[in-house]
Formats: sequence, structure tokens, C-alpha cells
Amino acid sequence: MRPLDENETVAVFNKLHKFVGNNLKNIVLESQAHEGPETNPGRYCFRMQKNRVYYVSESLVKRATNVKRDKLVSLGTQIGKFTKSGKFHLTVQCLNLLAANAKHKVWLKPTSETKFLYGHSLKKDGVGRITEGIQVNNGVVVFSMSDVPLGFGDAAKSTVDYRKMDPNGIVVHHHADIGEYLRMEDDL
Amino acid sequence: MGKKKQKIILPPDLPPEVPDEEVEVSDEDLDFVDQHSDYANFMSKIDTPSLTKHVSRVADANEGALELLYEKKLRKKFENKEKEENTLEVDPIDALPLKTADGQLYYRRVKEPKEAAEESGESIKDPALVKPTKAEKRLKTKKLRKEAKKQAKEEEVQQTPQEEVLDEVKKDLTAEEANEKKKYKFAELGTTLLADPESNIRLLKEMLELSKDGDSTIVILGLKSLLAVFKDIIPGYRIRLPTEKEQEMKVSKDVKKMRFYESTLLSAYKAYVQKLVALQQQTAYQLVATRCLCTLVAAVPHFNYRESLLAAVVKDISSQDDVIRKLCCSAVKSLFTNEGKHGGEVTVEAVRRIAELVKSHNCQLHPDSLEVFLSLSFDEDLGKPERSDMDKKAKYKNFKKRKGSDESNQKPENDRKKSRKEMMSKTREEVNADYKAVSSDQDPQERRKMQSQTLSAVFQTFFRVLKHTVQPKSEGSVNGAFGSHPLLDPCLNGIGKFAHLIDLDFMADLMQCLRKLAGNGNKSADSSENSSCQLTVSERLRCCIVAFKVMRNNLDALNVDLQEFFIQLYNLILEYQPGRDDGDLLAEALKIMLCDERQHDMQRAAAFIKRLATFALCFRPAESMAALVTVKHLLQKNAKCRNLLENDAGGGSVAGAIAKFQPQVLDPNLCGALASVLWELNLLMKHYHPSVSSIAATISTMNANTNQVFRVHASPQQAYTELLKENESFATPSAIKRTNNKRKVSDSVPVQGPDLNSSDEIDENAIRSKLSQHFSLLHDIQENERLRSEMDHTRQSLNLYETYKMQKKRKARSN
Repeated sequence: MRPLDENETVAVFNKLHKFVGNNLKNIVLESQAHEGPETNPGRYCFRMQKNRVYYVSESLVKRATNVKRDKLVSLGTQIGKFTKSGKFHLTVQCLNLLAANAKHKVWLKPTSETKFLYGHSLKKDGVGRITEGIQVNNGVVVFSMSDVPLGFGDAAKSTVDYRKMDPNGIVVHHHADIGEYLRMEDDL
Repeated sequence: MGKKKQKIILPPDLPPEVPDEEVEVSDEDLDFVDQHSDYANFMSKIDTPSLTKHVSRVADANEGALELLYEKKLRKKFENKEKEENTLEVDPIDALPLKTADGQLYYRRVKEPKEAAEESGESIKDPALVKPTKAEKRLKTKKLRKEAKKQAKEEEVQQTPQEEVLDEVKKDLTAEEANEKKKYKFAELGTTLLADPESNIRLLKEMLELSKDGDSTIVILGLKSLLAVFKDIIPGYRIRLPTEKEQEMKVSKDVKKMRFYESTLLSAYKAYVQKLVALQQQTAYQLVATRCLCTLVAAVPHFNYRESLLAAVVKDISSQDDVIRKLCCSAVKSLFTNEGKHGGEVTVEAVRRIAELVKSHNCQLHPDSLEVFLSLSFDEDLGKPERSDMDKKAKYKNFKKRKGSDESNQKPENDRKKSRKEMMSKTREEVNADYKAVSSDQDPQERRKMQSQTLSAVFQTFFRVLKHTVQPKSEGSVNGAFGSHPLLDPCLNGIGKFAHLIDLDFMADLMQCLRKLAGNGNKSADSSENSSCQLTVSERLRCCIVAFKVMRNNLDALNVDLQEFFIQLYNLILEYQPGRDDGDLLAEALKIMLCDERQHDMQRAAAFIKRLATFALCFRPAESMAALVTVKHLLQKNAKCRNLLENDAGGGSVAGAIAKFQPQVLDPNLCGALASVLWELNLLMKHYHPSVSSIAATISTMNANTNQVFRVHASPQQAYTELLKENESFATPSAIKRTNNKRKVSDSVPVQGPDLNSSDEIDENAIRSKLSQHFSLLHDIQENERLRSEMDHTRQSLNLYETYKMQKKRKARSN
């Protein structure tokens, strides 16, 4: 386990910024961790282990140093991994974190939830509601109508264009969804 | 009065003229004349030219005028002729005359500067006269008054001159006479014109000439009489002057007469309008000229030269002077509402001019100037032009198809019947075409085109105002006399009203503008590019409301969620102050944004619920009621938020990601309200106002109640307005209504403590007397103290003086 270096931090923050925008400071600086025996709440930080990035509280980090490096499987919440070529991808486990701080949201109609959960991209006629002000390639978090986060992806069109689109066009490119817990159990 | 329906009899020939000096008057005659001075007055008052004028005028006036004329004449005949200069004789009806010992009748006189009386009389009458129901009636009353004064004048002129002052008076009088004559002339010309416009049209020119006088009253009078005449004469169509070719053609007498009439009318009208426009600049005539212009615009918007009229009126639509501005605004509004009179072209023109005005003044105008836009009305289907065309075509095709199918279904007819059917359809079409050509309805295409032009001009103005508000203020820009953003309010109202007509392309731009405007109060801390337009809470609320209206009215955009504006509203609720900001507006915002929304984010809804509950604790019952009604709506719609009513802080499993409630966070989505509990309801149940406490009780038991009964107040706006009215005369309910425990607990009951156990109606007078007693007592006490301190002071100084005296004595003694 090691902390992230300069470039890696930049990459992670960029990716997160795409989804949460200004709320990034919520995630990084102001979130308070009530785990651990100390009375003062600590902070959260990012640590890397075997090319995966974890979002973990400092008190937990301290205790995790007691575990041997190759025996340590995971700690805190995994938010993503680095590929061999050095690119950072967010994985589904960071959904809760993103959902709480998302700037751009899309709500799905109940009929199209299953399609999304199978990994298909989102079409216009499946959209129940959409936040105003989305630009192309913004990160979007997908919810069900009862506000359960289902996954996230990239916006294919801005909100303005979305209105004029035909019903079969793709609105959100799929990145990750909670169906992956079942489908890709081994990969996670 | 027996001379009612008399036929007009020409007076007999006058006796031969005998100069006054040569007439010998005997003593007897003198006595006789003195004794019967009433009757003799008549003789001395005969003035040949005026009489002839009377006669000729009487001939022209109609019956109603006639009898009044005669009445007046008779009444004036019995007045005394002997008068000093510059005195006004009081009507014998008002003050009885005195009879002296030698049989002379002295009529009471009032010393009054005649000029002023006349002028003031004129000016008082004139505003009333500007809006005549019938020009003739007005002219007639003017005539009568002129006449009376003229007669009075005549009497003065014919007095035996005794003093030198008379010379000056004579000069004045001649000038006055000239004025009188002119006014008289106006009346005469006016009546002649109205009686038979076609033959007397050249009299218009005369009137115009007359009104070029130097005296302001004459000019004003001239303008007004011309206005009355034109209003009645102007035909219902535009006059088109005949072209060269047409003039060369040989035409009948009637047509020639008509042409002459029209051309004279037109040229006179042109001169008149030019004069009005010129006079509008001069302050002396500004009010009159503006009034004339506005009346013309409202009455004859279809006639020629309406562009110049319109230009002049629109120029003054933002003047500093209240009266002028109101006149112009109402004229323009009537123009918009009475579109039938002129067809849409004038509307387009007017709207364009106002837009240019806004542009040239850089949006520093009085808000009234944009409020006229709110009286515009557009066809409902303006936004969907092609569909109606297609419908028509489809209908027509269906019709044809049906006909065709009819024909094919039937047995093969002989050719005669077929051709007959074709002929019928052909004739039907022809009839339709003819009907369309003849009917005065506007071609719907034309109408639509003009309306879309108007609409685009209107929206251009609105966007200009918005952009102006959004851009940062440079150092050089000056604040106009109207404040920094005077046009913003009517602009936003207008956008809200016409929201359903906005094109999709502009929507994004508009939304961005509104977002910037709504959020500007907040950002002063962290934005470096300092857009220093600080909008008030009301204005920002209005922005949010308009944004929602626009979104909602545009059917394609129903499912778009406006996050930014919710954040703004969340913060605006905190910034609201009851005295400074508009509670009605807040209630409307709550209704539109929260109650009418179908779906809400759970976190966001919970955040609003919590904040509104806190808000309800801080202000008057009116605001609390509005807030609580909204809370009730939200809780009913979002079942998940009901865990706010349960007593588990930390939210349990429903809280979502955020474990702790942070009230100071700006974003409602992030504040974690699902983890909080609505403790405020407990406090609100003990509120002094019964409705507030009952609704709080209902809300807190909402989870337990399975039947949801809707309360009387359907919307926060209604609740707010109802309680606001009640607030002004609110009386603490008596002890009968509530249990004794609760009454005793709430010691924070307002001032009327002693009256609690008395009857329901609190006697205001009793309170007033008691309070006055109390205050007078306080006052007395203060006075008392003051006097006492003064007394002490004087006593001290007296003592000092005495000691000083004693010391002096001692010194003297020792010396």
C-alpha cells in the first residue's frame, strides 16, 4: 500500500471531477471519518495497492500498515484501478461515493432499468428525468425513480440536444452498474 | 319659459343709426329710465355686430342649443349694466340687490381680476373638456360662457368713461375682445364643421390658422377643438390620395367633391399632427399636446400618419412626469387590446419602437414602459404554424377522398350526375373564395406573420434587458434615475406570461441567463470576475419562478430537472426578510417549485422540508402557514421523507450516504436532511395562532393516520394571503377556545394580557384609553422628575448666592 504520487493523484481527481464537479472538495477535504477509537473525526485519503485505488480513512490506514504488503487484499472502498498503460478507470464500487456528490443525474423509467443493469447504454425513451445543464462527456450518475443509484456513465448529448433527439438515440454511455456485482463477480 | 319650441324668426330691420350724442334725453325720460332700469338696460346693450352674430349663430345652432341660448340671454338681460371696471357682478340669484331710498337698485359687486378668473375658469374647464362625449355639447357650453362674458364685456365698453384708468382697461379689453372673438370663432367653426363636414372642410384650414396665435390659451383651445373635430370627422378607412393618372381621368362631381374633401382633410390633419409633435417639446404645451396625441392614437389608429403619432407617443412612454407617462402607457395599452381597429401592423410598429427605445436608453427606463407588453395577446397556436396548415390540407384531402369514395361506392352513375357533382364542388369553392375576398376578416396567414414579428420584437427586448442585467457593471456606467435594474421585474413577468411561445433554441440561452441572475447574490465571495449586480431577494425569486414556468410550459421539456434553481431557492429561504421582501412571491415560488413538481430527489425534498420547518418558526403566522402547507404537500408526496417524523436521528437505513445533518451546507442534496428529525413541529404545536398549531399537529401525526384528509388551504399562496389579511386584525383567542394548561404555559402571549378572560371581542377603545392613561402617567412622572431636578438646581444656585453674599458682608465688615 502506498499513497498516490503526483500524476496519479491528478488522474484520479480529474476523473472524479468529471462526475462530482465542485463537490470534489467534499470528498477529499471535508468528509469526516467517525471510524476508529479516536474522539476527533479523521479524514479520508487515497491509497494505492496493486494498481487499485482505495478511498479510506486515515485511522484505518494506520491499522492497515500492520498487515503485510502481499497479504493485504483491500482496504476501505475501492474507487477504481489503473490500467497497464497508466489510465485510471472508475469502477462500480465507488458508486455510493459518486451518487452522494453527483452533479449530473439521470433517472430511469422502471421499464428500462433492467436493460441498463445488463450493461446496455441508455436510450432516450428510457429516461424519466434528467438534470438541466449537462454538457457532452460529462459524468452522469444513473438512478432509478426511487432514487436508488444504479450506475454511472458518460453523457452522449447535452441536455439541450437531448430535447430534440429522436427517442432511439443514446443518451448515456454505460460505464458501470450494480449488475456487475453479479455478472462480473470475478473481475471486481 | 315659454320660448321653448320657437321657430327661428329673423329679427326685424334695425332702426336707422343715430349717433349717441345727438339724442336728446329729457328729464322725464331719465326718470322713467331710472325707474324701469331693468327694462331699459336692454336698450343700451344692443350691440349691432354682436346681435347679427347672435342671429346668425342662432340660425345655425340646433334646438337644444337654441333654448339654452335664449335662457341665458334672458337671464343676462336683467342684470345691471352699471359696473366698475374689474368687478364681477354676482348673479342676482346668489345675492339679492339693494334698493336705496332714491329707487336705485344696487347689485352686489365682487372685486376680482377678470383676467385670472377667466384664465382659471378656462383651464379648469378645459381639462374636463378634453374628453367630450359630444363635441357639440362642449362647444355649446363654451359658446354660452363666451357669450355671457362677451355681454359683460360689452357693458363695460359702453360705460361712460370717467377715469383715466379706463384707457388702459380699454386696451386690455380690446385684447380680451380679440381673444373672445377668437374663442368664439373656434366654437362657430367647430359646429359648422361637425354639422356638415363635406361642404365645410375648408373651415379646418381656418381653424388651423387661428390656432397659430401667440396667446397660449388660444393655442390650447385651438388644439383641443381641432382634436374634437378630427375625432368625429375622420373616416374609418385610410385615405389614399389619387395618383396622377387618376387625377387626369374624368370623374363625376361627387367623386370630385369627395376627392377635394379627402385631400383637404388630409392636409389639415398633417399640419395638425406636425404642430402637435412640435409643441410636444415645449414645456408649456407638453401636457396638452401629449393628451391630444394619445387620444388620436387611441381613437384613430388606422388612419394616415399614424407612424408619426406613434413615434411621438412612444417617445414619452418613459417620461419622468407621471401624468404624461400614464397617458402614453394607457394609449399604447388600448392600442394593443383593440387590435380589431387597426389590424396587427400598428402593434408591430409600436412594439418595435419600444424595443428601439429600450436599446437606445440602455435599459434605463421606467418599468411602466415594459408593462404595456403584458397587455399584448397572441394566438394560442402561434408556436405551431405548420400543423394547422397540414390539418387544413389533410381535412381537404379527406374531404376529397370521401367524395371520391362516395362516388366510387355508388353504382356507376350516368355522366350527368357526376358532372353535376363536380359543378357543385366547383361552385362551392368559388363561393368560398368570393366570401373570403369580401369578408373583412384578416387572412390568417397575414395575422400569424404579424404576430410572430411582434413576438420576436418583444422577446428581443426581454433578452436585451436580461443580458444588460447579467453583464458586470463597468466603472463608467451611470445609474439611471430609475435604479440599477428597473426593467427587470416587468421583463421577467412578461417572459413568464409568454413562456409557452418561446422557441427551443432560445431556451438554453435563457436558462443560462436566469441561472446567472438567480445565483448572483451568492457568488460574491468566491468569484473573481466580480459581477456586481446585486439583485434583491424578490428579483431572484422571480427568476426562479420564471425558469420553472418556462420549463413547464414547454411540453418537450417536461422531464428536465432544474437543480441550480433548487439550490438558489434553498438559500433564498434563508435570506428572506418579511418587511423587505415579498411574501406573496415566496409563496408562489414554493408552490411552483415544490408543490407542483411531480418527482423529487429524496435528499432534496427532505432538505426543503427541514429548512421550511425551521423557517416556519421565525416569522409571522402567514409565512409559517405557507411553509407548513408546503411541508405537508412534500411529506404526502414523498413517502420516504416520513422518516423525518420518526425519532431516529442518524436516519437509520434510509439516510443514504450522508450520516449527519449539516444545516449550513448550501446544497440541499448534500446536507443530509434525511438523517435529521423534525423537532420544530413540537414547538409549532404550541404556536399562538390556532391554524398554525393545528396544522403542525396534523403533520406530526401523519405517519399514524392512514386517511389523508386535505385541509382547507390548497396552496401556500392562499394560506399566505389569508393569514396576512387576518394578521392585521388579529386577536388572541380567548381562554374558552383552549385548555387552561396550554394558556398558562405560554407566557409569551402578546400585550393584551388583562383582556384574556374577558369577552372575545377586545374593545379597542378601552385599550386605547388604558394605554393613553399609562403613557400620560409616564409622561407626568418624567415631567415631575425634570422639574424636580430644575428646582434642585435653582435651589443650589440660590444657596451659593447666599453664601457669597454672606462672605461679602463678612469681608465688608472686616474691612
